[in-house]
Amino acid sequence: MLKVQGIETWYGAIQALKGVSLEVKQGEIVALLGANGAGKSTTIKTITGMLKPAKGTIEFLGQEITSREVEDIAEAGIACVPEGRHIFPGLSVIDNLMLGATPRKNPSQPDLDRDLERVFHLFPILQEFRDRLGWQLSGGQQQMLAIGRGLMSAAKLLLLDEPSLGLAPVLVQEVFKVIKQINKAGTTILLVEQNARMALLIANRGYVLETGKMSLTDTAANLLANEDMKAHYLGAHAHVKEARQRRLNERPSA
Amino acid sequence: MNTRAAKPLILALLVVAVLVFPLAVTSNYWLNLVNLSISFSIACLGLNIVLGYAGQLSLAQAAFWGVGAYTSALLTTGLGWPVWPCMLIAFIVAGLFGVCLGIPTLKLTGHYLAMTTIGFGIILQLILINAIWLTGGSDGITKIPSPWLGSLELKDPSTFFYVAAFSLLLLTWASIRLKDSRVGRAFLAVQGNEMAAGTMGIDTTVYKITAFALSAAYAGYGGALFAHSGSHYISPDTFSFDQSVVLLAMAVLGGNGSAIGAIVGATLLTLVPEVLRFLKDSYMMVYAAGIVAVMIFMPGGIAGLVKGLPIALRLRAWWNAGSAATQQVAVSVATGDGIGGRPIPAKAANAGSNGTLLSVKGLAKHFGGLKAVDGVDMEVRRGEIQALIGPNGSGKTTILNMLSGLYVPTTGEISLEGTVITGRKPHVITAHGMARTFQNIRLFGELTVLDNVLIGQHCHSKAGVVPSVLQPASQQAEEAGMRKKALEMLEFVGLRGKEFAQANSLPYGQQRLLELARALASDPKILLLDEPAAGLNANETEALIDLLFRIRDQGITILLVEHDMSLVMNVSDHITVLNFGKKIAEGAAEAIEKNQEVIDAYLGTEVGNA
Amino acid sequence: MDLSINFQLATAGLAMGSIYALVALGFVLIFNAVSVVNFAQGEFVMVPAFVAVWLMDVLKIPFPLTYVITVIFMGVFGIVFQRIAYYPLRNRTFLPVIIATIGVSIFLKNAAQMVFGAEPFLMHRPTPPDVLKLAGVFIDPQYIVIIVCTLALLAFQYFFFEKTSLGKKMQATAQDKDMARLLGIRVATMIAITFAYSSILGAAAGILVGPIFYVTKEMGGMLGLKAFCSTILGGFGSVPGAILGGIFLGVIEVFAAFYISSGYRDAFAFIILILVLLFRPQGFFGEKIAEKA
Repeated sequence: MLKVQGIETWYGAIQALKGVSLEVKQGEIVALLGANGAGKSTTIKTITGMLKPAKGTIEFLGQEITSREVEDIAEAGIACVPEGRHIFPGLSVIDNLMLGATPRKNPSQPDLDRDLERVFHLFPILQEFRDRLGWQLSGGQQQMLAIGRGLMSAAKLLLLDEPSLGLAPVLVQEVFKVIKQINKAGTTILLVEQNARMALLIANRGYVLETGKMSLTDTAANLLANEDMKAHYLGAHAHVKEARQRRLNERPSA
Repeated sequence: MNTRAAKPLILALLVVAVLVFPLAVTSNYWLNLVNLSISFSIACLGLNIVLGYAGQLSLAQAAFWGVGAYTSALLTTGLGWPVWPCMLIAFIVAGLFGVCLGIPTLKLTGHYLAMTTIGFGIILQLILINAIWLTGGSDGITKIPSPWLGSLELKDPSTFFYVAAFSLLLLTWASIRLKDSRVGRAFLAVQGNEMAAGTMGIDTTVYKITAFALSAAYAGYGGALFAHSGSHYISPDTFSFDQSVVLLAMAVLGGNGSAIGAIVGATLLTLVPEVLRFLKDSYMMVYAAGIVAVMIFMPGGIAGLVKGLPIALRLRAWWNAGSAATQQVAVSVATGDGIGGRPIPAKAANAGSNGTLLSVKGLAKHFGGLKAVDGVDMEVRRGEIQALIGPNGSGKTTILNMLSGLYVPTTGEISLEGTVITGRKPHVITAHGMARTFQNIRLFGELTVLDNVLIGQHCHSKAGVVPSVLQPASQQAEEAGMRKKALEMLEFVGLRGKEFAQANSLPYGQQRLLELARALASDPKILLLDEPAAGLNANETEALIDLLFRIRDQGITILLVEHDMSLVMNVSDHITVLNFGKKIAEGAAEAIEKNQEVIDAYLGTEVGNA
Repeated sequence: MDLSINFQLATAGLAMGSIYALVALGFVLIFNAVSVVNFAQGEFVMVPAFVAVWLMDVLKIPFPLTYVITVIFMGVFGIVFQRIAYYPLRNRTFLPVIIATIGVSIFLKNAAQMVFGAEPFLMHRPTPPDVLKLAGVFIDPQYIVIIVCTLALLAFQYFFFEKTSLGKKMQATAQDKDMARLLGIRVATMIAITFAYSSILGAAAGILVGPIFYVTKEMGGMLGLKAFCSTILGGFGSVPGAILGGIFLGVIEVFAAFYISSGYRDAFAFIILILVLLFRPQGFFGEKIAEKA
């Protein structure tokens, strides 16, 4: 469904992505993992069109979307729940949700109502708070609202950027359960997460980014079992250990 | 010819030009205009200081111009005092009004600052109109006397021209000298990056107020010149918000930050409308459209346009070749002084005693309901390299910001070498020996590499405004000493040869090195580094690791926040791990690597079955 | 305390406050949409006033049609303004933008003078010039018209922004432009509509206030500056704040001019501004309303 090839994206003078490629097939949950600063959010921003890559291509449903406008990409069927939620603070829950349906082409009222019901079924608290304003919700509720809003777009591909960020562990569990349900109901998902374990428990496959490059990719099960994962996160690569040993031998420590 | 011989020659040429000018231009009409444009030029020179140097927008300049005009006019007509001292008093009084404006605007930036200065200017103008007992109100003040030179009354535009022109030369010279001095650098630092300026030891409050005071004083003097010339009449209508806008347009047209540009802009916008008079009604429209066009196409003004021309570059290179800075750099290359990395004066005495250098107790920072840092105790031992790590949002940068004085802690205590520094201002903390670098590089991008490192030494140098302008031997010696140290810093980090490059023209990795050099220049006991490896490639990271060890060998303690684990594991003597604002582990690298809580924090935990 | 005087002052204050509120509103909407402080906002009031006067005096067009044409003209004006003045400056830092919008303001003022001459005009009143006697007090009926029309406009605006889908999209654009784009909202169109609507608010202010003051090229200057003060008073970026700030300023100004000093009338707005910025820079309604808006 989504094919990203050889993306190089720059933030001013810094090259954030140095040739990133990944694929998401229909019906999958794919996890995009990596330490902070590795380039996960940059990848998402490049896919949605908020950042334009210097090199590389992005294909969605067989059409190239690399140079298209953000609004057009949304209408093509990619919805994004960005890092930090970004719900509209001055608008009500119901308004936020209905705005999520903007990219749809002439949806019928019954369709909209049905999708709204679906969101309320997944997140009952949103129905209870339907008239509350965005800023009045707690972090976890905002996250649910952001995901619900993403669902209202009836998108084919849903990009979730760090949905567990800042949430208490219990809520994280809730959110991941819902993500799995959404996927079962037919939405393909690309999930960016710092909490690698939780993500891999629900994903089919995973990619690990390290300073702007893909360093590891495998099925979720294999990644979970992979001892090397620690190395990619905690800097415990073999060559690093060697260097450290070498230095310790050369210099007296304080 | 070299610049040493050229300077007196240029001065002589200027003096001759001034003396000869009124003989060449004899029309009183044009001479009056020239005097007027000089008066405006001086006001624009003032604006250039507060806006061009210090980056503070002032739309009250015409009001200060008016304060100066009225002060001098009232003292000479009302009290009958002689003109010369009254013009000086006008300079001072206007400066004091500038201090009054500087104080309420300290925390304001952007539109708030603009509006406040507008309001201040309008209020001043209304006082001029309404305080009839003092100012004569809308009738204005007439028959303002001319200055006397011995027995000669300088009342013709041609004779007054000398007063105006020599004043202009003097004030321009002062402005130019000010820019390339410790005070000038401090102004430019406040404009370039106010937050970084504070952490480099610059008391931004004092410098902002000083900038307003100087700019108002210049404008006041210009207003006094205006009062004692031309029609020898002033009324409040002249000193309006519209006039402040014109002054701003002149400064920006000339090129923000350029003293000569201010003069060019003021002269053009005074004389050109006269030339355009044939356009009658539409000339103001052309003028306004021109301003908009300049803003769209030439935001650097005329100076910006000229700077890039080949002839300007060559002139500049020739001029700079004669500067003390260039010569010192050249000399130090030739004689090998500073090469070989003469070490930073090692704190050898302290390096022996392995005690606690930095102690943090119960530190917390709450933002409303969010507990970014929730009760952290930490100790950094003298001479060690300690890393502060943790996943996104764990509070690392917040702690760094509290240590360097950018945030005031909600509770807790921070002490450096026994001195409590909790909640002190950044420049005070820097003076106590704590320097830092930033995650998103906060260099003074428009300044040279050398200037950036010189600014780092601000808190250990002392030249104020007057020595910076007059540049007596003591100030020159101080500058030379600072340059020497700066060159040593640059040598140490490996940036020799790039002294005069503009900081933001350096490649990313070198900008990071420059930030380090700048921080080291403040003679810190402890260096706080915020993600020093961010954006560096593998080779640069290796070089950084070596540099960090060399810094530590000089006796400087390092506390770094970092995500790049290979760097952390390689370099740290001690690691503290945070999660959700609390410390969850600390110890040596091997222990941390195996600590289950740390692994969970980074890799995530299995929460129930999903 | 003479009650009737105070009642008169209060009405005049509410009327002036309504005008400030309308201009402040136009200001805030543009700022929320594109983060530009439009120093030419006062001219958005001056231009339609001249247009209306010209239509009425020269072309002898009756009131209602004049108003409609003026409003449509300003809508188009807003879109043109956005294209010519804002668009080329959209990536510049704030100093060139401030100077450029001031430049546009000067240009418009002098264009008006060139087209209409320097003589002040008196706009024909839609209301009879005889004062109204209300509860024993003499009131200029135009004040009542201003207050009522402003209330109607605010009601319309509330309805538009809160109850229509387009209004919601515009709110979303103002609150989080990037997120709005991610949802497929055509942000460029929203911005154009914002400028058009802001100009229409100026048209309303110009038509309402024209009959009270002389219509001159300077009429917009102070108005714009005081509207800016109003937005800061209310909490910069807050829509209800701008409205309440404007009304508050209008009332305070009228009372202070009468009781304290009429010579310093223009100073009060700025004195209050400086005090607020010193002691409560987030304005009256501070964070809470800012979050809502």
